[in-house]
Amino acid sequence: MDFRIGRRPLIGAALAGSLASLVGCSSKDGGSGSQAQVHDLVVGATAAPDALDPSTNTAAAISQALLYNVYETLLKVDGKGAYQPLLAKSWTESPDGLSYTFTLEPNARFASGAALDASAVKTSLDRIGQDPTTLATLKSQLAAIDRVETPDPGTLVLRLKHPDNFLLYFLAQTAGIVYEPSALSTLNQKPAGSGPFVFSAWSQGESLSLVRNASYWGTPTKFDKATFKYYADPNAENAALSSGDLDIISNVQAPQALGQFKDTSRFTILDGTTMSEVVMGFNHSRPVFGDIRVRRAINYAINRPELLQTVADGHGRLIGSMVPPTDPWYEDLSNTYSFDPDKARSLLAEAGHSSGLTLALRVPTLPYATAAATFVTSALKDVGITVTVDQLDFPARWIDEVMTKGNYDMTIIGHAEGRDIVKWADPQYYWHYDNPAFQKLIQQAQTGPADEVNGIMKKAAEMLATDAAADFLYLLANLVVIRADLSGVAENLTSDSFDLTTISSKDF
Amino acid sequence: MRRAGLIAGTACVGVVVVMALVALFWTPYDPGQVEASQALAQPSAAHLFGTDGFGRDIFSQLLVGARICLQVGIVSVAIGALVGVPLGIWAGMAPGRIGRAIMRVSDVLYAFPALLLAILLAAARGSASTGTAMVAIGVSTVPAFARVAHGATRSVMARDYVAAARASGIGWGGIARTHVLVNIAPVVLVQTSTSFGLAILAEAGLSYLGIGTAPTTPSWGRMLYDAQKYLYQAPLQLLWPGMFIAVAVLGFNLLGDGLRDALDPRLRTGRHDD
Repeated sequence: MDFRIGRRPLIGAALAGSLASLVGCSSKDGGSGSQAQVHDLVVGATAAPDALDPSTNTAAAISQALLYNVYETLLKVDGKGAYQPLLAKSWTESPDGLSYTFTLEPNARFASGAALDASAVKTSLDRIGQDPTTLATLKSQLAAIDRVETPDPGTLVLRLKHPDNFLLYFLAQTAGIVYEPSALSTLNQKPAGSGPFVFSAWSQGESLSLVRNASYWGTPTKFDKATFKYYADPNAENAALSSGDLDIISNVQAPQALGQFKDTSRFTILDGTTMSEVVMGFNHSRPVFGDIRVRRAINYAINRPELLQTVADGHGRLIGSMVPPTDPWYEDLSNTYSFDPDKARSLLAEAGHSSGLTLALRVPTLPYATAAATFVTSALKDVGITVTVDQLDFPARWIDEVMTKGNYDMTIIGHAEGRDIVKWADPQYYWHYDNPAFQKLIQQAQTGPADEVNGIMKKAAEMLATDAAADFLYLLANLVVIRADLSGVAENLTSDSFDLTTISSKDF
Repeated sequence: MRRAGLIAGTACVGVVVVMALVALFWTPYDPGQVEASQALAQPSAAHLFGTDGFGRDIFSQLLVGARICLQVGIVSVAIGALVGVPLGIWAGMAPGRIGRAIMRVSDVLYAFPALLLAILLAAARGSASTGTAMVAIGVSTVPAFARVAHGATRSVMARDYVAAARASGIGWGGIARTHVLVNIAPVVLVQTSTSFGLAILAEAGLSYLGIGTAPTTPSWGRMLYDAQKYLYQAPLQLLWPGMFIAVAVLGFNLLGDGLRDALDPRLRTGRHDD
């Protein structure tokens, strides 16, 4: 009996659903015209998030979906690396570099309708600094902030312990997100911000949906709905775009497959730069890597132009250090160690490894990493280094074994965060690279006069390259395929976000 | 006609075994040698099956892959048989609570697919490798062996000669060795052959998913994984490893069926000619 009663409404709902879709069809054909067409944007992505709070979880997929779309920051970095206003209408820096004063956008509101004033911003920034659950990376990015003051609801003042030339940049990224103060305890289930989209639903491992924020304080988005769909299999993701299930592939996993999107009447391919340096990291706490000759030998042994060709079908850039071309202090250092296997062999012999050397290369289960491992293993074998490869499930196992326990000789991973060159100044970070001269340069760049930053950072990048701190294999290409009618997708990735707010269609 | 399956199965398995043996002594190229300039070469005299996206010789990889495939089959089936068969015999000879308990535990294990077990094991061991895959596949074949051995043991135990042996004072261990093991051997052998095929398929599946054999080791499943991104550029790359996986699995299954027919006419399926 119960069973039947339970079923009837279902059948009813199904009927109603099919009727609605019939009505939908006729209005699309120009029938009644009274029912507005729903503009839905579906974005394909990989690496599904396992939680939703970007301040307590490292998964890059969280900020990819939520930053600038659901969450906003005081300011934003544009494609050229310049700062643009967002929640802050304007800002000034004191001459001594020890305080920043932000004037907030007076209309800004959270999606819930609550006011977004200086005290809300203070709550979010203080939380990064003081809450023990927030990520150490974010804490270090905002470490220069001594205290946050709110002289009036529209003004925010940051007082710093020391000048920090990188602070504005990090305030524009995940660290600077302004969360709704009353929703802090449920951020992992229900993100609450002030952006043009509002979080709607999350199906773990499958999709994350956003809907338009009807009461957005700024320029509203043209899309009623946006969904990130997660694919473990790149071929399935590509097929979904071809068949029209997706409107955008946010990051093409196998560049070899781009050929199927050549039809320009259907698709546009963007081939820009990311900030993700694919680094073959050495574990500097192992004695073998204390010897610069070994590190240089490995750098000489690998033909990086060929590696880029085979691993990424030539898409991406050779950079030679830890700086992407979108950073103001970029310099092409890719020729620091040109392919020279003889030199590699003689350096290894000098270092006392003429009878051979065995190294463990532990790679995450990511397509580019396992492919690069194949190339590297063969190249190093040619110069007498035996490489034993194993793969660690990403993210959990890789982070545990390599990042936390440091149980590796070499590993390969893309470092996607912006300005992550500063991580080389932290001897605790998983490379255990401890170079006081480099640390001093980063310190100078951070706290010294602003006009000297670029010069000092250039020197720092050169130091990493000549010291062969790692083998900087290449920079991942930002390969995005979009439906031909869409525009406004950034060619170069300059933040942690896949920014939906600038996307529009010429059809509506 | 009845022997056709057996012959075809033996032939397929023979091909794989010969490839594995050859790979022990000789491959035309180092299977891990990357030659970027030779990438995606078509089949030719120099490269019998062409090269992959790294310019590695596919034929050399296939040869070494055969060795890995047999290694996986042998190790995992050995684990399954060495654990499963004694358990099954024990359960079959002790039909009370102990027997039921063993079979229920084995049924629970049966419910776990090899893939899931392998993922669990890889997580517990810290890394995915051929070794992890072999252990996982081995563990997942234990219940199949236990079941087969259990059923066969039960039917042997009902025979008069077992009652006679017991009456003449032979202990349980003696009966298990002299009567049960000998009489259930044909069924176990058939199961071994079938499980061998399944193990090869499971390893290929795991490697294809990226949780089996590590990169640079040319397992057939791994080759499939590497080749899938060239699906549109060079579809032949997927064909070769796929074809050999099919040959090996088909071979072991046909061999299993053929062996069953040859060794135990009573188990013959769909035939009433005896």
